[in-house]
Amino acid sequence: MTLPELLLPVTVLLPLGMAALILAVSHILPPRIADIAALAVSLAVMLLSGWLASVAMSQSAPVMHWFGGWSPGAHGSGNLILGIAFRADPVSAGVSAFVGLLFSAAFVFAWSYFDHIHSHFQVLMLLFLAGMQGFCLTGDLFNLFVWFELMSISAFALTAYPLGQSALDGAFNFVVTNAIAGFMMLGAVGLVYARLGTLDMVYMGQLAAERGADPVLIAALVLLAAALLTKAAIVPFHLWLADAHAVAPSPVSVVFSGAMVSVGLFGFMKLLLLVFSKDAAIITLAKPALMAMGGVTAIVGALMAWGQRHLKRLLAFSTISHLGIMLTGVASLSSEGLTGFALYLLGHGLVKGALFMVAGIMLALGASGDEIMLYRQGRRWWPAGVVMGLGGLMLAGLPFGPLHGGEEMIHHAIGHGPLFWAVSFATVLTGAAVLRATLRIFAGLSGAPGVEASAPTELERERADRPFALMLAPAALLIALAIILPASLAEASGQGFAVMSGLGSLAELAPPAAVPWTALSTVGLAILIAGLSLLRRRPTARIARTMARAERAPFTALEYVHSGLVGDYVVWTAVGLAGLSMWIGWQ
Amino acid sequence: MNAKARLSLLFIAFALLLPGIWSLAHALPPFGFPTELYGQAVNDIVPGLRHVANMITAVNFDVRGIDTVGEEMMLVGAVTGTVMLLRGSRGEDASDRADQKRGRPVIPRSDALVLMSRLSASIVMMFGIYIVAQGTETPGGGFQAGVLCATSFILIYLGDGYAGWRRLIPSPVMAFLEGTGGFVFVAAAAFPLFLGKAALENIIPTSDFRSMISGGMMILGNFAVTVAVAGSFGALMVEFMEETREPSEDDPAEGDGDEVDETQ
Repeated sequence: MTLPELLLPVTVLLPLGMAALILAVSHILPPRIADIAALAVSLAVMLLSGWLASVAMSQSAPVMHWFGGWSPGAHGSGNLILGIAFRADPVSAGVSAFVGLLFSAAFVFAWSYFDHIHSHFQVLMLLFLAGMQGFCLTGDLFNLFVWFELMSISAFALTAYPLGQSALDGAFNFVVTNAIAGFMMLGAVGLVYARLGTLDMVYMGQLAAERGADPVLIAALVLLAAALLTKAAIVPFHLWLADAHAVAPSPVSVVFSGAMVSVGLFGFMKLLLLVFSKDAAIITLAKPALMAMGGVTAIVGALMAWGQRHLKRLLAFSTISHLGIMLTGVASLSSEGLTGFALYLLGHGLVKGALFMVAGIMLALGASGDEIMLYRQGRRWWPAGVVMGLGGLMLAGLPFGPLHGGEEMIHHAIGHGPLFWAVSFATVLTGAAVLRATLRIFAGLSGAPGVEASAPTELERERADRPFALMLAPAALLIALAIILPASLAEASGQGFAVMSGLGSLAELAPPAAVPWTALSTVGLAILIAGLSLLRRRPTARIARTMARAERAPFTALEYVHSGLVGDYVVWTAVGLAGLSMWIGWQ
Repeated sequence: MNAKARLSLLFIAFALLLPGIWSLAHALPPFGFPTELYGQAVNDIVPGLRHVANMITAVNFDVRGIDTVGEEMMLVGAVTGTVMLLRGSRGEDASDRADQKRGRPVIPRSDALVLMSRLSASIVMMFGIYIVAQGTETPGGGFQAGVLCATSFILIYLGDGYAGWRRLIPSPVMAFLEGTGGFVFVAAAAFPLFLGKAALENIIPTSDFRSMISGGMMILGNFAVTVAVAGSFGALMVEFMEETREPSEDDPAEGDGDEVDETQ
């Protein structure tokens, strides 16, 4: 066995082992040691996964590790696959490395924040990290489900940690909706296994290709889509996200929004590509449904984000919107769309991580997360405002870095139909929402608040027990990476997808346009919208009042659907599942 | 949405799902029809290879062992999360009267009850160890044995009361058992890597077919899981008992206004 093959399982076993060890000695362990150990492990995982990605790239084949030595054919198992493999192709390992980076940044940001709970924070975060690594790297469908659940369980507890009413409500909604997603996924695993008799994704793909459109496989795809799109917060499965992400402690929200949600979509993409895309009939059925869901999600998320005043809720809804954009890239299943998705995932995670850290800084130092209450309060901490402003500009499409590169490629992949406008609309409006909050908090610009004034908000704060510089540094690092990471990543990730899908090479990729006028126009529009909303005066004239009411109407309707009641969410999940099964299953 | 709208929407959704379920049900393999080669292959290969008779244990701890590592850590995570959330509102100190309702008289346990509980606690503990020791040969294994061992903790509580039980087993011991069990399992999974073999590879001699120490690594994994599960359930029990105590004034999460959280 070569060294990369030997080290592949360490990406999961190291955080698992460290979590167990910290738990065993938690009562005598000084908190600083737990902080250091957790940070060291996440850095090690990041470096290891990054290295595995480069090895897989240079050998043009995934790095494989068959647990227990149960490789196909071993011990006389013939052509049957009995064991479980980790399969580190360049893209999966790259995403794992990115997850490691985000965890490292979150651990620095959370330094000493969780001292009083006997290192339980570090234990749960390390289990969370291990779950995400396994989720990205495994090649086995049931094993994917195991890591999916490990991720969910640690995430539930971390969400509820603040223990206030809203934190418990948010965590409860998160538990119920994601547990239902877990059941659906388990059902799908059972169906696929009943039909194909194997759980290995690549082998499943080969068998599915021979079968042709089969009701059992279609049902499995519907259930898997509903389950993983719940994790990925796609309309109408998205309702839990804003409740959970807005109440989780900020260092946890960084990982939630930056990585957990998009990794859920990444898992779905992998199953689509490796298993279901081999069957042209199924893909023809599923593609338009997924595209439409992506477009609707982008628009709904952007509108909701614009209508928020609580920073973390605002960012959470913008995450939903961006996941919609990513889904359109995934659903195109073209080399451009997938490459765009991978770049977007990276860029979005970096920007969103930095933005959630700024929200955390305001919660700790400004003692509030409400953009209207924080009016002018941010001036003392202006460097955080610079980070947040840059983040808003990046979301609006500033032509630097992987976020913009990814968006360009997704635009290419989906063409110039209504989806193009949905994606552009989402880009402009989410960027504008962040810019509006930035200018209000840090530049002291504010007219009469518009629709955001009637949005729900919280009186809350987080412990301010660590220096400003320590909180700012990881945020600044993430936003700097989001800007300076080169566009040449596109080529690498394109080759990575070729290795992942087992095809020799995907079609040559068009480089992003040299002078990205469209990008500059979305940035300009976002600044314009944010500026106009801050210049707004209280509506006194009759016509102005009517207009303000008309403006508020769609936001009120949307807010009504996002009721925060878990019963509603479950019903919408059922409706989404029924819709998917009607659309995909009945053609 | 009000309850009526919610229910009717749910009903409509289920009605729309029916045709899909119908066509799925007709496409599935017929009930009881053996199509799976996996089970056959495991039955053919594993007894000769690992000298074990319990194929479920063999699949769980050897063929698909990494699944079980993940599941074991899932349990550890769930219990750690529960402990963190329950403790959050009241801190960690043990109280002598955790399971007593205020104002209700404490009736001392009869000697017969104490004796019976202690006796049966030891027997149940022995039974748990038997179940894990025979896990590779007869139905049973680490998870079941761990739950049995945790049951013996409950029996001790039944006889000696909460205070006596907490004196016998302080809270850090549970976290230690839980963490150590998990760590041993993960370390055992990782150890073959140092020898240049695959993780979880069976590197321990497997003894004779159906002997108590057959199965090699499976035995180590089973025992580690037992310890971790016993610790997990014990820790859960401590926290649930302590829940009867009112939150103290200086709670880390609520008392000093660190995280004031009120919906407007």
